[in-house]
Amino acid sequence: MIKVNGLEFAYRKSPGKAIKGISFDIDDGEIFGFLGPSGAGKTTTQRIIIGLLRGYQGSVDVMGKERIMWGKDIFEKIGVAFDFPNLYEKLTAYENLALLGSYYKNNSLDKDQLLDSVGLLADRDKRVEKFSKGMKMRLNFIRSIMHDPEILFFDEPTSGLDPVNGKIIRDMILDFKKKGKTVFLTTHNMNEADYLCDRVAFIVEGTIPVIDNPGELKIKYGQKSVKVSFNGDGKLQEEFFPLSGIGRNSRFLEVLNQDCVRTIHTQEATLEDIFIKLTGRELL
Amino acid sequence: MRIVNALKADVRFQFKQGFYLVYILLTLIYMVILGVLPVEWKSTIIPLVLFSDPSMVGFFFIGALVMLEKVQGVLQYVVVTPLRSLEYLLAKVFSLTILAIVATVMITLATYGYDLNWFLLIIGVILTSSFFVFFGFIVAVRCTTLNQYFIRMIPYLLFIVLPCFSLIGFPYDWLFNIFPSVAGLKLVYGAFKGIDFLSAAAYSVYLLLANLVIAHYVEKIFDRMATEGA
Ligand SMILES: Nc1ncnc2c1ncn2[C@@H]1O[C@H](COP(=O)(O)OP(=O)(O)OP(=O)(O)O)[C@@H](O)[C@H]1O
Ligand SMILES: [Mg+2]
Repeated sequence: MIKVNGLEFAYRKSPGKAIKGISFDIDDGEIFGFLGPSGAGKTTTQRIIIGLLRGYQGSVDVMGKERIMWGKDIFEKIGVAFDFPNLYEKLTAYENLALLGSYYKNNSLDKDQLLDSVGLLADRDKRVEKFSKGMKMRLNFIRSIMHDPEILFFDEPTSGLDPVNGKIIRDMILDFKKKGKTVFLTTHNMNEADYLCDRVAFIVEGTIPVIDNPGELKIKYGQKSVKVSFNGDGKLQEEFFPLSGIGRNSRFLEVLNQDCVRTIHTQEATLEDIFIKLTGRELL
Repeated sequence: MRIVNALKADVRFQFKQGFYLVYILLTLIYMVILGVLPVEWKSTIIPLVLFSDPSMVGFFFIGALVMLEKVQGVLQYVVVTPLRSLEYLLAKVFSLTILAIVATVMITLATYGYDLNWFLLIIGVILTSSFFVFFGFIVAVRCTTLNQYFIRMIPYLLFIVLPCFSLIGFPYDWLFNIFPSVAGLKLVYGAFKGIDFLSAAAYSVYLLLANLVIAHYVEKIFDRMATEGA
């Protein structure tokens, strides 16, 4: 669906390169995640593929054609939700959808049903200026999918949403995948990426050191461990032990034999731990 | 049709933002003032108002319109729909020009009557209005807030409006015909005071060309703005 090769990009007014030669492919029907700290180049890369930044080097192939060769018709096939839910403040939720919706050939999805799917049907005729940030995020989200596009670009789609609404959006994203759509997602949220993405790319300072399946990454780089908390020297203590060879770990056995264990948990490295380990950077 | 939908969207947006209320009020004020004017001044003052109204309103309204879209950040979302830049621009030009024509007809009928060259008047208003909408767009593209627009437009406005004073009789005043605003004003005056066919045709064609050139230029700067993150 999307093939990026040797992509480089510099903003006109800034000295260095924001993107320094990245390559990746996104397959048909895949949920692909871009993970990285603030300023890494997530939004920049998405905007280049969407077609909002020109003058890049390298190649960006979208649906079999170089991005700059596409005209406006490409927007019949792609849907975009930027990281800011900007809407017509004086128009109602429904009017907002209807206004931009009228520019698409495919206007077949039922807008009330879409509003309902994110819990906004009751607010259908309310002006957007009266909406909370979370409501705007949800409206912004369905606005990006109302023309039933093939590729979806989401920039931090759940940031600022409460857990219930965050889950609604995540479930909808998984639904697109079921329908065979391709999703390109950026996020700071490792748990979300782990839950949603078929593959993730770690992006740091305009480069991509790692691209892999989250499960694979955890097997390759994440060591499972056992966390034991116990009473020792009159206070509660915690120690970690590698899961492999735990039965032969003398210190572990010693702690167990002291008969003062409070809890024992196995732990898996999170994607976040692996990110820090591989890139040496925190995900802020 | 995308462009018709864009036109509808603009009309709805302008309505909701209260543009039409402002315009109706303005038109009523014009009507009252022009209505009490001594008859012998009417054929001089009314064309001036009819020229300044669509041009100024086009210029101010397009600025306000684009700035409102910019400030609300919705332009970024318009840009990722299949709507073409030219369709976006023409929808704005059409919606504001229709407004100008309606106001022109109402003011003229209420304060002057129907004894004038309507065809020329409408042509003059259409070409003037659309030119000023495009012209205002050039300023709006470079601004990020409404206040900034109201300050930055002043030199642009002076540049295009001052030459109109050449009509009161300057040496070499034909030189000022190079300004599209002057050509528009002469057409509107011609509708009231009479004008020979050749001059009317020349001004019309010139103004039309000016519109095509500025439309092409504005389309280009709009595209550039859209791809640099509006
Ligand atoms: N319009 C711009 N002009 C100049 N430099 C920019 C512009 N937008 C971004 N940058 C720079 O490009 C780099 C990448 O920014 P980008 O917005 O792509 O990061 P990001 O990964 O999306 O970060 P975040 O998580 O904060 O959204 C940063 O160094 C940033 O300062
Ligand atoms: Mg970003």
